[in-house]
Parts: sequence; structure tokens; C-alpha cells
Amino acid sequence: MTTLDVKEPRVRRRRGLRALEPLAWVGPAIVLIALVVLWPVVEMIRSSFLEISRLGVVRGSAGFANYEKLFAEKDFADVMLRSVIWVVAVVALTVLISLALAQLFNQRFPLRKLARWALIAPWAASVLMTAIIFKWMLDPEVGVINQIRLKLGLIDAMGGAAADQLGDAATAMPWLVFVAVFVSVPFTTYALLAGLATIPADVYEAARMDGAGRLRTYWSITLPLLRPALTVAALINVMNVFNSFPIIWAMTHGQPGYSTATSTILMYILKGSDIGESAAMSVVNFGMVIVLTVVFLKVSRWNKEVA
Amino acid sequence: MKLVGGAALGLATMLVLSSCGSGGSGGGGDTQASGGGQVTLKMVAADYGDGPGKPNSGETFWKGVTDEFTKANPNIKVDVQVINWNDIDKQVATMVQNGQIPDILQTGDYSGFVEDGLLYKVDEVLSPNVSGDMLQKFAEFGKVNGTAYGIPFVSSARALFYNKDLFEKAKIAEPPKTWDELKAAAEKLKAAGVTQPFGLPLGQEEAQAESFLWMLGNGGGYKDASGKWAINSPQNIETFTYMKGLVDAGLTTPNPGTKDRKTVWEDFGAGKVGMVNGGPMSIPIFDAAGLKNYGVAPIPGKTGPLDTTLGVMDWIMAFNKNGHAAEIKKFFDFFYTGTAAQKISDTYKLLPVTNGGIQKLSGDEKLKPFLDALPNASFYPFQDPKWATLNPAIKQTIGGAVKDDPAKVLGELQKTAEAAG
Repeated sequence: MTTLDVKEPRVRRRRGLRALEPLAWVGPAIVLIALVVLWPVVEMIRSSFLEISRLGVVRGSAGFANYEKLFAEKDFADVMLRSVIWVVAVVALTVLISLALAQLFNQRFPLRKLARWALIAPWAASVLMTAIIFKWMLDPEVGVINQIRLKLGLIDAMGGAAADQLGDAATAMPWLVFVAVFVSVPFTTYALLAGLATIPADVYEAARMDGAGRLRTYWSITLPLLRPALTVAALINVMNVFNSFPIIWAMTHGQPGYSTATSTILMYILKGSDIGESAAMSVVNFGMVIVLTVVFLKVSRWNKEVA
Repeated sequence: MKLVGGAALGLATMLVLSSCGSGGSGGGGDTQASGGGQVTLKMVAADYGDGPGKPNSGETFWKGVTDEFTKANPNIKVDVQVINWNDIDKQVATMVQNGQIPDILQTGDYSGFVEDGLLYKVDEVLSPNVSGDMLQKFAEFGKVNGTAYGIPFVSSARALFYNKDLFEKAKIAEPPKTWDELKAAAEKLKAAGVTQPFGLPLGQEEAQAESFLWMLGNGGGYKDASGKWAINSPQNIETFTYMKGLVDAGLTTPNPGTKDRKTVWEDFGAGKVGMVNGGPMSIPIFDAAGLKNYGVAPIPGKTGPLDTTLGVMDWIMAFNKNGHAAEIKKFFDFFYTGTAAQKISDTYKLLPVTNGGIQKLSGDEKLKPFLDALPNASFYPFQDPKWATLNPAIKQTIGGAVKDDPAKVLGELQKTAEAAG
């Protein structure tokens, strides 16, 4: 009895320390998140309410003036709308193409390993580099894509307006989307490929026994079971594409005018003239990403049971 | 055991984190006098060369200058930190914020420091005979409210480059002097198969320069004679309407509003462009592309060649925080009266800012049109604080004036100029 009495507090003390143990493990991560994620967000929001000089000297509070100025920009509404269209177009195309590619790469065929490796290339290359290379290939005077178009008789001569697809928003935008899809497809395909690998073979067997056709199997088995992977892949793409900067910047600078600019590009341009207004744009951008994410998660019912 | 492990891991992470945090901006250093009457001047300069390690790097250039200076003035050492153009403004801002203010700064603008009283007046750090030799118009721009703070360092000007081979092929006898001649020449070049008769970069890189050169050709500009913003003046609208005519006829670079000057200069170097506005700094680009047979002429205006041009200059200035006025004066006088100022022109194809410097270079045929135009150069209204807000807007949108309605696009910019600030 007595020995038990003596032991009990010691146990309790150890339990108290033990309760703190997770903190030792989680603590660094919390500090890391606070330092690397939360602090910049706070700083960003704070500077959007400050008046900041061109040389970086803070001149005091600006109230909502930065926001008022931003919302009064002539091109603001267009830029925001274009950003949403840009995200929807790039992510939708990326997911569709990746679904097909993942299905293909999940089959057994000769040199599959090589093909899978090759798919990594656009992912491994720097996005900025890819964008610059596409800009070169579209150069009106010497670009290889225009030389091919010339040979095919699609344009009459090099150097003219017809050969200058990046010079006009109507033809530049599809190219920008194309390059963005090109660099997003590898990651998405691999995420989906991983998802496909988790679907057990016996489910397909059962479906075959029940006499389900190929389309039916894909629609009722593959897609629903792929949903977790699909949701994560699409969500990461939404955020990446919304914040995507190098492709548009390297290929068009958002020009002509602001007609190929997204909100990230506008934010960068504003930084050259008014840091406070640029910070306000960042905050709006940040809010947009959160809204898009929430809408996306709602639509995809991500936390519901797999059907 | 587990607990200890967790704590150790946590501590290690914190250490890594904190060491990341403290990595930031180095390069400050203590620059106070180090005894025995010895003074070390700390100088920050922009790099006009191709970067560290290259034969024309700023470090190499300044080492030559300061070694020679210290030989003549054993008591004064000049410690030069060279920073590339992209970073120099931010790094200097950081130095100013941290109180590590240099004695001398050489960069693209001085006016931002005047407001806070950080600079010596020019007559405190430059001898009268040196400041008297400065090009009057240039020195004038170094003044804020009538007092000079910025000393012109080097300058650059623009003129018309034309490809002599293409002109011969199109049977054009001489470079155009008026807009009508320019259009006629462009049409002949077009007929001879030149894809870009006139290179017109109105894209983001330097649209404000190309636009200004055209405005000057019709007696316009960003501001009128009384100093008011006049971006949508009738002259400017007429100018851009004329340019739009050239663009619509396919006589220029396609979609000028998306083309950077570097691209267009490279196209000129590759023999795809008949005429283009350029400066001494474009000569190395043309040389690198292998173009040899080109000429330089004054820029054509509406009724005759421009008697002015766009002048761009960089500045050198002295900070008053460390109180080294006498030593700085010695160094500045040495720089402008010795061989250094000329060496910088020779090495980097930059133009001098003194009458003496211009005379020394007058033998160079390729530089002559620039040197002739220099004393009468026109400048951006960069002393107006609104210019800093307006300039990015011009770069982004003025190309639209040769695509859409000129009056509307220029009107929007005028609104930006009047509202900014």
C-alpha cells in the first residue's frame, strides 16, 4: 500500500511532463509556420494600410486609401475577371489532359518507363526558362513555330503582324494558357497516377463480373475512387496557377496594355509605383485564393465519404 | 529518452531557423577614419560593365581610379562597393535605413535623398572650375529648389541608326529628315522586302523614351513650357496619330506596344530593321550581331530633324553624415579633371557631361551626332515626384496609342499624371 502511495505522485508528474512532450515535437513546426507563413501574411496586410515612399520609407498610416486607389484603377475589374478565367481554363485543361495521360501511363506498354521519365521534363525545367523558350519559338522574325506556319502556308511572311501572336491579346492568351498547362500537366499526371495505383484490382474484377462496360467502369469506379487524388491535384493547381507569375511576365509583361495581365502581374507592376497599393493588391489576391479554394472544396465535397 | 530527443530536435530546428534569419544584408562595414589622419571614404557605385569578374567590371574600373587617387593623396583611401543596377536602389535604401550611409553614391537618381537632408550641396564638394565646366542644361537638373545636390556623372543620348545596305537596296539616297521623308523611305524599304522598315519599341522596357523622341519631333513632350502635364496635348495626339498610320500600314515593328527595345535593336543588328532610334549603348549590340554598315543621323521630326534629343544621365552625390566634405572634394575634382571621366566614356560607350569631355571625344564619327545633340538635350520630367508613378503607367499602356484611339490612351495617362502623388 505504502509503496503505491509513494509512487503515485511520481507517475502523475511524469504524466504531466509527458503531456508536454508533443509540444517539443510540434513546437518547431509551429514556430516555423508562424515565422514563415503567418508573419509575412500579417506584414502584408499591415503594409497594405501604410503609406510607403518610393525609397521604402514608411510615411504613416494610409487607412483604406491604398484599397480605394486600387479599386479605382481602370483595369482592375478586367484583370480580376481575367485571373479567374485564366485559373479555370488552365486547371480544367490540365486536369482533363492529365486524366487521359494518367490512364495511358497506367497501362503496360513497351518503353513505359522511358515515357514516364520523359513526362517529367517540362516539370523539371525551370518555368521561367520554358516561358522564355516559347517566347523565342514564337518570335515574329525568327521563331521556329512561325517558320513552320510559314512552310504550311498559314502566314505569308515572317516579321509581320500575322507572325506576331504574342503581340495581340486574342492570340497571346491561348499561348499563355498552353504554356501554363504544359508545365502543370506532369505534376498532375503523377498525382493521378499515384491515385490510380491505389485502386485495388479486385474492384475492377467485380465490375467485370457484373458486366460493366469500359466507360461505365471508368465513370462509376475509377473516377470516384480517384477523387481524393484528383481533388488534391486540382486544388494545388488552382493555387499555383492563380499565383503564377513567370509565364505571363516572361512572355508578354501583361501587355499590350494590361490585356494579358492577371492580378499577380498587376501587383508586380504596381510595386514599381506604389508599394502600399501593391500590398493591397496582394491582400486582395490572397483573399481570392482563399475564396477560390473554399468554392472549389465545396463543389468537390472533398471531405465527404467516397461514393 | 524520447523527450530529450524531441527537445534536441526542437532546439536544432530553432538554431537552423535563427541562423537563416541572421543571414541578411552584409557589406556594410565600418568606414570611420582609422587613425593617423588617414581617412577612408566609402563609396557605392553602380556597375556599367558586364558584372563581377568581367574585364570591364565596375570593380576593375574603380580599382584603377582609386589606386591612382590614393597614390596622389596618400591620406585618403576610397573603398568602392560596386552593386548591379537591379539591386543598387534597394541596397542603398537598406543602408540608409540602417544608418550605414556611404560617403559617396553613384547611381541613377539623387532627388529622393534631398528631402531628408542627407546630401552635401554641390559647391561644398566640387571646385568651381569643375562645376563651371559641366554642361549647363545637365547641371540645371541637379538642382532642387535652386540648390544643386546632384552632380551629373555620365550621360547618354539618342539618334537615328539606319542600315546602309538596306537603304542602298531600297534606293534611298540619304537618311530621312522629316516625317514625310521617313514614311516614303519606310515604304521603299517595305517594297524592297524589309520586314520592319522602322523599328518601334513601345513595349514595357523603355516605351517612355521612344514616345518622348517622337513627341519632341512635333514640339510636344510630357510637360508643356509652363511645366504642366501635357501628355494629351494636340501636338502629342497628332504625333501618335501619325505613328499609328505607320503601324497600320505595316511599316513598323508589329504590335509596337509589346516590343522591348532590346529585341528591336537585336533585330536591327540582324538586318531585319531599316531604321531605329538608338544610343551609344546600342552600338555594342549591333557589333555583337555582326552589323557593320550602318549610319547615324539626327532623329527626323515633323518638319525637320530634331535639334534636341533625349538625354539620360546618371548622378554622383555626397552624403553629409560622416562629415568628409574636404576629402570628397579632392576625390571629385580628381575624378573630373583627370583621366577617369574619359576612361568611363571609352570603356562603356557613355557620353561625358563636361564641355572638356565632349571636346576630347569629338573625333569619333559614330558618336558625333550624339555629342552634337547633347548640350541641347531634353529630359524626362524626373524631378516631378509624380513621374515615379507615371513612368510605369506609360511603359505599360502608351503602346495602345498606336493601336487604339491615341486621344483616349494619352488622355488616360494625363489623368494618371494629374491624379498621382
